[in-house]
Amino acid sequence: MDTTFTEEQEILRKAAADFLAKEIPEKKVREIEESELGYDPHIWQSMADLGWMGLVIPEKYGGMGMSFQDLTIILEEMGKNIAPGPFFSTILGGAYPILEAGTEEQKKKFLPRIAKGELIFSFAILESQAICDASDMKTKAVRKNGSFVLNGTKLFVEQANNAHYLICVTRTSTATPPEEGITLFIVDTKSPGITIEVMPTIAMDRLCEVKFKAVDVPAENMLGEENKGWILAKNIIERAAIAKACESLGAMEAIVPLTVEYLKQRVQFDQPLAQFQALQHILADMFIRVVAGKYLVYEAAWMKSEGLPCTKQVAMAKAYVNVAYNELSRLMIRLYGGNGTNREFKPGLYYRRAKAAAVAFGGTDFLREIVAKEIGLVS
Amino acid sequence: MDFRLTPEQEKRRKEFFAVCEELERKRPAGIYTLMDAFETDTPEGIAYEEYCRKEFAKRGWLRLGWPAEYGGIGTMMDKVFFNEATGYHGVPGVDVVGVGMLAPMLIHVASEEIKRRFLPPIGNGEVLWCQLWSEPNAGSDLANLSTTAIKKGNEYIINGQKTWTSFAHRAHWGFGLFKTDPHGRKRHNLTFLLVDMKTPGITVRPLYFFDGKHFYNEVFFDDVHVPADNIVGEENKGWQVAQTLAGFERSSVGMVMTLQRQLEDLVKYCNQTRVGRQLLARNQVIRNRLAEVACEIEAARTLAYHIADLQDRNQMALFDASAIKVFSSELWERMAALAAEILGAYSQVKTSKWAPMGGAWESNLNTCFIASIAAGTNEIQKNVIAWFGLGMPRPSAPVPKA
Repeated sequence: MDTTFTEEQEILRKAAADFLAKEIPEKKVREIEESELGYDPHIWQSMADLGWMGLVIPEKYGGMGMSFQDLTIILEEMGKNIAPGPFFSTILGGAYPILEAGTEEQKKKFLPRIAKGELIFSFAILESQAICDASDMKTKAVRKNGSFVLNGTKLFVEQANNAHYLICVTRTSTATPPEEGITLFIVDTKSPGITIEVMPTIAMDRLCEVKFKAVDVPAENMLGEENKGWILAKNIIERAAIAKACESLGAMEAIVPLTVEYLKQRVQFDQPLAQFQALQHILADMFIRVVAGKYLVYEAAWMKSEGLPCTKQVAMAKAYVNVAYNELSRLMIRLYGGNGTNREFKPGLYYRRAKAAAVAFGGTDFLREIVAKEIGLVS
Repeated sequence: MDFRLTPEQEKRRKEFFAVCEELERKRPAGIYTLMDAFETDTPEGIAYEEYCRKEFAKRGWLRLGWPAEYGGIGTMMDKVFFNEATGYHGVPGVDVVGVGMLAPMLIHVASEEIKRRFLPPIGNGEVLWCQLWSEPNAGSDLANLSTTAIKKGNEYIINGQKTWTSFAHRAHWGFGLFKTDPHGRKRHNLTFLLVDMKTPGITVRPLYFFDGKHFYNEVFFDDVHVPADNIVGEENKGWQVAQTLAGFERSSVGMVMTLQRQLEDLVKYCNQTRVGRQLLARNQVIRNRLAEVACEIEAARTLAYHIADLQDRNQMALFDASAIKVFSSELWERMAALAAEILGAYSQVKTSKWAPMGGAWESNLNTCFIASIAAGTNEIQKNVIAWFGLGMPRPSAPVPKA
């Protein structure tokens, strides 16, 4: 057993941290948040030049062929920095699905361009009920001549406003159970009939409504097998869930020292707030929650990286982190006091993202139900 | 990173679990958890503890991770697996004071002579130990203790009182902190001594837990003569020795496995018990809350493994160890409270024909506090994390008494 990262991984972590600190400081985060697009094309290209987009893409498709766990190190560091942009959606919602289910032609067509930073992807799954359940997959894809025609509406599609392609989960058959009859497509966002509108959300992270009105998708853009796409969709969600948990863990790790620092500087009653035991124990509790969640997350990420079955561990890790990140960011606001509610201070940045992270790729109750089944409670 | 065990480790772990499972089958009624089994003061309970201790001793399992020259076998990880097995199956027989704390400390800091004298009887399961630390006015503020050990020739003469001393009524030996320099500075006036509990002048009086159980005691010292050779470390440097020992108190892997077992037992109970029109297992609130604690138990388990992994590499994980102590002990308290809600009226029933799970949860509702108070209260652990882990300044000193 080895619960530590390798020297190479520590170097990767340091490089990522250095880059993010330099290129995406807090000021930049706020700028991107307020910008029209919600991402910075210049930073995007720098990240591609560092090899981040191609990190997990095999060398033969122009990537670096590194592991999922290596990727989670970068995500953890991005979480600390709360760096906004379409990195997450492109890698988890584009590169991985194509890598795992794509044909050789699809891999050759898309992966090298993703690695170079030329393509932005996103995963379009949620609909009106906003649940990852096959019964809510109502966007239809109907075969017509050599292609499929899509009709329907997807919601909460991250960075769709910037995406070149979407991986879209559609219904191709009304067979029962609803899990049978789902098919995934790689959809060009420039296709006629697509309209994309940014939804105003708490984290300003460019979640979009995407409407499909008689959108023509070539049959060769089908990802995986017809009517058998639900397993693929579930895998994408499971991988994204643990990736999101890694990102959230990073944010939790940042919150504790930032809050300590603030309490050391803020003087009331002629002494730094950090000297009050009432506040020290809150900080100690926050530290404990981070430490306790850390290896739960690392273990699940490692299992995913090794290709081991990890439905239980992923659900446990994300469920734990959902609650802990929310709680830590809430306490961060409380400990900053009035300044915690001030837009110029950091707590709001983390708090708003904690709310978004906790509902992405499985909310707490959804995940706990998975855990309940996994620990053997009969259903 | 690789959370897998090697085939050799898997094999060893299975062996520990198999033996403990067998011992669990022989457990007398009314003993449910690791803590209970140790604390049960009935003749059957004592006989069972002795039986388990001998079973472990003959396999060398009380010497896991020790250096070979003192009869050690296996690795530090083997010790972790063994702790998991005893915790999961709720089996006594490992003296948490002697085997768990004293022996690893002696191996690290004691003189060769002390090691040769005291390690073999611990490893052979012949001698039980108690910890003579806390006093009526020295709990969390341990260094405030006032029991004196005054040197006279080749002996220390001890006078004073210790309290909350677990198993003192059964222990053959005790290790303690005593004030050897009544005029010295706090923490620089204490010495770590090993005391034969049969020495004249020692009186052990039971102190009862709020549910009536007897496992801790008051210990009175009235001119107790202890050979000066029984010192660990140097005179007036006992505080440092005690600190080293405290580090071995906080690897909580056994407790985590006890919680894991409790969860599994609760799941089984919910799967078999119908209340009103449905199985408890189909109650959405119960499903959600059991899943919540399952996540936390898994979190504690992975952290315990990380700490064990670091200790196996001779690295200290000081703040992680404080963190898991607080996290898992508070989880234990919450777990007991949750079980009480699931079991409803039946949660209050002691071992009897009416009790579900043999009365385990009534017992657990009482004993669940032990871990959060013993071995440095959780509040003290939080001070340690805040002051030394997070670098927050210590609160201003209290105003001196007028």
